Amino acid sequence: MPSRAAEQPRYVGARITRLEDPRLITGQARYIDDLALPGMMHVRLVRSELAHAKIVSVDTSALQDVFSHALVFTGADTGSLGIRAVADLPGVQSFTQPLLAQGRVRFVGEAIAAVLTDDPYAAEDAAERVFVDYEPLPVLADVEAATATDAPRLFDAWRNNLFVEQTRKGGDIDAARSQARHIVRRTYRNQRQAGVPMECRGVIATLDSTGRILSVWSSTQIPHLLRTYLAEELKWPENQVQVIAPEVGGGFGVKGHVFGEEVLAAWLAIRTRRPVKWIEDRREHLIASIHAREHIHTLEAYVSAEGKVLGLKADITADVGAYSVWPFTAGSDPGMVAKVMPGPYDLAAYEATYRAVATNKCPLGTYRGVGRPAAVFSQERLMDEIAIELDIDPFELRERNLIQKFPYKNVLGYTYDEGSYAQSMKKVRELLAPDIARARNPERPEIRTGVGIALFLEQTAHGTPDFIRRRSPIETGYESAKVEMHPDGKVTVDTGVQCHGQGHETTFAQLVADQLGIAPQDVIVRHGNTVTSPYSVGTWGSRGITLGGGAAHRAAGILRGKLIAIAAQHLQTKPETIELADHHARIAGDASRAIPISSLARWAQRNVENLPAGMEPGLVAISFVDGPPDGSYTNAVHAAVVDIDMTTGGIKLTRFVVVEDCGTIVNPMIVDGQVRGGVVQGIGSALWEHFIYDKDGQPLTTNFADYLMPNAPSLPDIEVHHIETPSAVTPLGMKGLGEGGAIGPAAAIANAISNALGVAIQETPITPNRVWDLIKSKQSSQPQAT
Amino acid sequence: MKAVTLTVNGVSKTLTVEPRRLLADVLRHDFGCYGVHFGCSHGACGCCTVHVNGEPRLSCLAFAAQCDGMDIVTIEGMAAGDTLHPLQQAFIAEHGLQCGYCTPGFIMALAPFIERADEPTDEEIRQAMSGNICRCTGYHSIVASVRRAIAARKEGADA
Repeated sequence: MPSRAAEQPRYVGARITRLEDPRLITGQARYIDDLALPGMMHVRLVRSELAHAKIVSVDTSALQDVFSHALVFTGADTGSLGIRAVADLPGVQSFTQPLLAQGRVRFVGEAIAAVLTDDPYAAEDAAERVFVDYEPLPVLADVEAATATDAPRLFDAWRNNLFVEQTRKGGDIDAARSQARHIVRRTYRNQRQAGVPMECRGVIATLDSTGRILSVWSSTQIPHLLRTYLAEELKWPENQVQVIAPEVGGGFGVKGHVFGEEVLAAWLAIRTRRPVKWIEDRREHLIASIHAREHIHTLEAYVSAEGKVLGLKADITADVGAYSVWPFTAGSDPGMVAKVMPGPYDLAAYEATYRAVATNKCPLGTYRGVGRPAAVFSQERLMDEIAIELDIDPFELRERNLIQKFPYKNVLGYTYDEGSYAQSMKKVRELLAPDIARARNPERPEIRTGVGIALFLEQTAHGTPDFIRRRSPIETGYESAKVEMHPDGKVTVDTGVQCHGQGHETTFAQLVADQLGIAPQDVIVRHGNTVTSPYSVGTWGSRGITLGGGAAHRAAGILRGKLIAIAAQHLQTKPETIELADHHARIAGDASRAIPISSLARWAQRNVENLPAGMEPGLVAISFVDGPPDGSYTNAVHAAVVDIDMTTGGIKLTRFVVVEDCGTIVNPMIVDGQVRGGVVQGIGSALWEHFIYDKDGQPLTTNFADYLMPNAPSLPDIEVHHIETPSAVTPLGMKGLGEGGAIGPAAAIANAISNALGVAIQETPITPNRVWDLIKSKQSSQPQAT
Repeated sequence: MKAVTLTVNGVSKTLTVEPRRLLADVLRHDFGCYGVHFGCSHGACGCCTVHVNGEPRLSCLAFAAQCDGMDIVTIEGMAAGDTLHPLQQAFIAEHGLQCGYCTPGFIMALAPFIERADEPTDEEIRQAMSGNICRCTGYHSIVASVRRAIAARKEGADA
């Protein structure tokens, strides 16, 4: 463990407004589409209009007649280049997603040709003069079609249409089944949706005039991983590739992948020797970036007479679309469900089989929560169903199953660090007391009130062993930071943890300021640039503050040691007596004997004759921090209160409460913002957002009129309460929290609506139509009073 | 091609534009107002909101050629010198932004509202931003920002 700062922290824990805000609030931030290079060409992609088809021909002859300077490239040019994303697990089937289609397309939106002109309007016009002749093939529009015994193969060499099928288990599931008094079996489904950042994707690439240095700007969460992928795929020395993420307008996991368009732009820059720019439009984003979710889970719980869940069996299927994504691969979403389903409960036996089914849809990737929102929806719906079947209060049932002692080794062998599972549920129960009373005593017969909760864990900041087990190209889970104090005492932090709204420029500065006795305003945090920052695997997995921030804390700790050693010599005292605070090194309790930090910084670099004998000049330190092997577990309880209009099926979310524990909080304002933003995405998952495809694999939700993003009038305020249980296995006891908000809402809201209606919700999104059908089916199944 | 004269943040220019050229593109590339953002390009997210003759308008749905002679203000024109607009100050104080991409659109859409609203309900505040989508904040802190800005305006009026 690193040493804590000797003094009480001044800035860690403080509500400090963000240092990055001034440029963002005035329109001075520069996102990818705001950048331009002299002589730049604009790329427009010709995309497949069919979900599954052979490409007979791509006719570009009509293009040059009108656009004489246009360039066009097809799959014949890019050949075998593509996205290779294979997990090294037994039985895995793989296929490279080509940069441009190789004679066959497998989803609507797949790139077929790239047209380049010097103006983006002209590029769109030119792309319309490329004519593709298709020969339609049978469409695998869903899991049922793709797993039918006579289903055509999406990839000719495959045995079936499964990317991967695996089983994970622990304990004796047969014994659990035979000891059970009750077996509760349910099937749950959720829908296809995605992160949908407000800024679409985009990339600019150029080769320098010497033909050596390939520079790529991309709206990405993972600049270093993109650099490595480009170097490997394009066979370009990695020290001649630089990737810069400019201001990034949201990511939520979508931009945590390497995309074909990024590799294509780099390839085009090399091929044409011109700077090239590709900016995604919203329709492209909604049909051809990355989707998420779309699972079917069948759970079977083996329950004792007292309501103890003895064992859980799960069958998990995800419709993962047409290709495997890098670096998380096609099995990531269902595999995560299989891993996290045990959740906060003390399970002795567990067995989960998961499979990733290939279909003719947009590839499935990661989105905030990755599998957990789906897992928690099923698991927490099931807990309520068990409670109803056994006639036990849902809080009480959970209480009987919750893990109470830490550290806890779960049924799959993952070790949970300290948490506040029971305490946070107790707090939620107190907060909800008036709502529960109201639900029992409705004021108006046409309005039914329901209350629902969801408990969950968020595995965060997991270290390399967790990724080794997945055997996917992600490979590792460490983070890094470089901290440099300049001769005037000001500090620069360089980190590969790309920031796209999380406030790292503020929170990392808070961590560093506490170590060095300066103010956060004295620290500039630079990120997303492979030129300046040490290697990093990027921003995803709720790991930024714990590992990236942890690395900044540790690197600053090295500088702190050096500053103290210099000060101790000059004050002729022992290093232990020195404190760094208020921009000075001073003897604790003796304000008269102090040296400005800026003097120490100057001596270390400009007047090195002042340094203690043998000390190296300079004030730069780099730290790499790997996560704990099984990660650190943030816990939370989400609670929803709904009013259902029984005459229309209308759903009004009237209250949403979060009690969460992410260990040591660096900036409560930012934590609250992350939680609330995540919760609203989770509410979108529960109620509105849905990528709908028809039976021909045509996407029907291709704009924001059809794909329903949560908007302000449809939402309540989000109440957030904190419990702080510092982790024993991370720097400063910090746990990750970026994804948690999105994990619980679907389950909590489904439980609340089920509670209101007295009918089980088994599928999201929970639309008024679905509620109306449930109301009607319940009424028709009940005997009519005569 | 069509000649248009636009006044953007107090600067007038006469340009020759293709009739189909979007106002947002002209503001970005001819006036350097890169704070005007495209979020959807179909008028559903509000990211590109600017003021045209004092009223919030979607610059992705307007052609520059339609705006001849009009007075336009973008996010770049909201601060008075070094003093941020009260709404900009409130967004910082209440953490009303995260990635910042939608933020200029929210500021431009809500600036007239904070001038005229006196004691708005939460519902009225949320309705005032119903044409804008924010994916990061969940809107909670934007509602708080609007409240703070209205309070600041009233305090200023009292003083």
